[in-house]
This record gives sequence, structure tokens and C-alpha cells, in this order.
Amino acid sequence: MLAPLALLLAALSLALAVWSLVGALRAARPSGGQLLLAAVLEAAILVQAVIATALVVGGTRPLSTATFAGYLLTIVVLLPAGVFWGLADRSRWGNGVLAVTAVTTAVLVLRLEQIWNG
Amino acid sequence: MRPALRSGPGRLLVAVYAVFALSASARALVQIATDFSAAPLAYLLSALAAAVYVVATVALVRSSERSRRVALVSVTVELVGVLTVGLLSVEDPVAFPDATVWSGFGAGYGYVPLVLPVLGLWWLRSQRPRRAV
Repeated sequence: MLAPLALLLAALSLALAVWSLVGALRAARPSGGQLLLAAVLEAAILVQAVIATALVVGGTRPLSTATFAGYLLTIVVLLPAGVFWGLADRSRWGNGVLAVTAVTTAVLVLRLEQIWNG
Repeated sequence: MRPALRSGPGRLLVAVYAVFALSASARALVQIATDFSAAPLAYLLSALAAAVYVVATVALVRSSERSRRVALVSVTVELVGVLTVGLLSVEDPVAFPDATVWSGFGAGYGYVPLVLPVLGLWWLRSQRPRRAV
């Protein structure tokens, strides 16, 4: 796990959360910009997941590898699932779903770092 | 019935319920698989909480009249559960050496477990089917 990349992931998730929350409050549907941000975030998550997997396979492991793997798998699939579920609703509530997904992603980034560092 | 249970605010509710279904299930699974004897009561309650969240999520997504009743029951159980476990964990911490999702009224999860069933009941109530006259 690269710490700077984790920091970037947290920043991007929070940015997406704030953007979506503002959108929901303004009764807007999710915009193209938000989807682009979500795509960049997911790409960065995948890079981090590949790095983490390579490290684990190479022998650098967190204390609780099973829990770590569970969180890693969750964070990889969460954002696409949230975007899919949120976009099906073309109203402010789609933005609400994106906000919840982004906040959850930020929490998962934090938990992954905690577990990785023991 | 129209699939109204999962549209609008319902869509957001389903998203939050799905997150809790996943995290509560994972937590219960790890607790029970790794060290069940350490806190059997807390871990069984974790499993109960997980089951309740899963049932509520599925019922909201299905959005039929029958599943609305299922959702109503599971969300009510959830509210009773979070209040009971919350109270017990504060009154008698010895019985809860390890945390469940509902410990301390869901303090470990930003009190979302306490707010969620209230929102759920409000949503289900506002979506009651109207009888044709």
C-alpha cells in the first residue's frame, strides 16, 4: 500500500462526496464531471489494489490478511455498484446515492490504511 | 404495486442499507469464525443485526406489496434491536466485551444504525398503498 496514493484516494473520495452532496441539495442529477471523477477514483483504487496484492503476494502482509483482503475487494466493487445504482435514478436522489458511496469509500480507504499498518 | 419503494429517497435508503448489510455481515462472519467463545452474546447479536439488514435491503429492492410488509417487520426489529442493544451495552458493558453494530446505539458507525430504522419506518409509512375507492 502506497501511503501517498491512499491520501489521494481519500481526497478524491471526499471531493466526490462533497460534489454529490451539493448536487443533491441543489436538486440536480449527477453530472458528467462527477462520473469522470468517479472513474478517475476507481482507476486509482485499482492501482492501489494491484500494488497491495503484489505486496501481499511478495510477503509484505498486514496482521490480518483476511480482513484486509475483504476490505480491498469491497472498495474495488463499491464505487461501480454505487454509480450503477445511483444513475438509475435521474433525480437528486441519484446524487444522494453517490454521496453515500463516496463517503463509504473514504471510510474504507481509512480502514485499509489502519489494517495495513496494524 | 409500483416499484416506488426503491425510487427517490428509497434509492438512497437502499444504498445505505446495502452498505450496512455488507459491513454487518462481514463483521459477524469474522467475529464468529475467529473467536466465537470470547463474546458469544455480542457475536450472535452481530449476526442478527446482519440478517436484519440483509432482509431489509432485499425487501426494499424487491419493492412488492409483500416485501413492503417484510421490510416493515425487519426495520421494526432493527429499531428495537438498536435501542435494546444500545441500552444494554451502556448499562452492562461486561456482557458486551466486544462491539456489535448496535453497541452504544451505533456510536461506532456515526449513530447511523440509530437513525436508519427511523428513516426506514418513515419511508415505508409514506409509501403505504392507497386503497381504490
